[in-house]
Amino acid sequence: MHERLSFYIKRDSALHHLNPLTKLTLVFGLVLISFLSPWYWTPHTLLMLVIIPLSFIGKVNREFFRAFLRLILPAASFLFLMQAFFQPIGGHVIFKIWFLDITQESLMFAFRNAIRIIVMVSSFTLFLLTTHPSELMSDLTRRGLPGQFAYVIISTLQILPQMQAKAQTIISAQRSRGLDTQSSFFRRVGSLGPLVGPLVFGSLVEVEERAIAIEARGFTSTHTKTSLYDIPDTNLDRTIRWILIALVILVIALKIWLS
Amino acid sequence: MNLQNVTYKYPLTETPALQNISLQVNDGEFVAIIGPNGAGKSTLCYTLAGFVPHFFKGELTGLVEVAGIESHNSSLSEWVLNVGLAFQNPFNQISGAKYTVFEELAFGLENIGIPREEMKTRVEDAMKLTDISDLAERSPYSLSGGQQQRVALTSILVMQPKVLVLDEPTSQMDPIGTREVFGVIRRMAERGMTVILVEHKVEWIAQFADRVIALKDGQIFLDGTPSEVLTSPLLQENGFGISRYTSVARKAIEMGLWKKDRLPITLDEAVEGFSLLNTDETSS
Repeated sequence: MHERLSFYIKRDSALHHLNPLTKLTLVFGLVLISFLSPWYWTPHTLLMLVIIPLSFIGKVNREFFRAFLRLILPAASFLFLMQAFFQPIGGHVIFKIWFLDITQESLMFAFRNAIRIIVMVSSFTLFLLTTHPSELMSDLTRRGLPGQFAYVIISTLQILPQMQAKAQTIISAQRSRGLDTQSSFFRRVGSLGPLVGPLVFGSLVEVEERAIAIEARGFTSTHTKTSLYDIPDTNLDRTIRWILIALVILVIALKIWLS
Repeated sequence: MNLQNVTYKYPLTETPALQNISLQVNDGEFVAIIGPNGAGKSTLCYTLAGFVPHFFKGELTGLVEVAGIESHNSSLSEWVLNVGLAFQNPFNQISGAKYTVFEELAFGLENIGIPREEMKTRVEDAMKLTDISDLAERSPYSLSGGQQQRVALTSILVMQPKVLVLDEPTSQMDPIGTREVFGVIRRMAERGMTVILVEHKVEWIAQFADRVIALKDGQIFLDGTPSEVLTSPLLQENGFGISRYTSVARKAIEMGLWKKDRLPITLDEAVEGFSLLNTDETSS
């Protein structure tokens, strides 16, 4: 558990070699276009013709489909069903279950929303699978993101599993002293106190020590920070970013023009 | 390194944690600090490392000077370039922002803007020195306590401070971890780095330190060579730990078995003292 703290899969692919910012722009570009496009067919076309092929280009298709089937698809299906049943729009009733009408309009509406969510989550998944968090943060820091901000983001990612492990230790310790964590709901709520207290106060003490430790390594130094890794930003990266920005603007313009 | 009449009070407390401490440490000296809980050992470490007064507020009077610079007139991020600090819990010393040991060690160098090539050489050299080169690609969180503490020490060493301040670096280590960490500390001292070490494990101090300072109630209680300080009868009376070799020899004196005039602090000295006994018997 300790070795794997991010979704990142180390592979050698064209997608891995893109600059993190380019990939981030790609994610936001895909999301914005699928939400803002005036055409109904845009989101699922993007999914089929852009996101899925990209997962093959990035050589992470297996991991991508695993996440897709286990996480993204079930969540989106649930969203689809809820909206299809409970969206009171349209008149073309296709079938009825008890008092619930399924109309053609509500089906279309639910499908579009579900597929937009799929585009959003799956493009982020693809991003996380192919981008190392430290690379992303060093690149963004180099571009002017405050170092403190980057530190907060990235250390949270790492420290959460540690907190989880510590919570587990505290639970075991308290149970060995007879704390009831397995009977009725109310008893369990009552036993949260002895679990949360040590975790929170322990973490506060740790925060001070960690602050001292990073301070001892020049965290607040006024020197311009350097980075261990050279994160390339090629002409190709810049071109892709500008094209994406242009596409988003185009879609927004079309949306305004066609409405 | 020079401290004159240093007195410090933490915010919201009445009694000062350090009282009137004056101390000169020469370059390359290895100074061990001992003392019971609450004696001000950690506070002294924080003061030497600049965290008092730059991180902990409160009242600091007197002069703290390292390499001719006064800590009052320096910023913390500049001060840490001269004085490196490592402390007890290795886990809390890991930045949490890095995924491999190599990146972790480079963290401090990135912060102070060292160019990439120099950064790599410095990290590689430091890893060789502390014998952790084989851990370079591991996650710092997957290591044992002793390994983590060596990573923490190395992360300070790459910054190349003139003085190394260590606050009980082995208190959470098992015997193997302790030996690993002391191995590193000794190598640092041998390379001429000034080392200030707070430590309870007196046997280790006796082997390595040039000088021992005993702190009590925020004041310097004893200051001298290891054999002067560690064999002082005042230590045990005031709740300090003493070397087991010294205790054995004290017992031996009571039983008339110790013939040397000085008490031992290391295994070798104890063996030497007792072997005198043997030669006496054979000659008589």
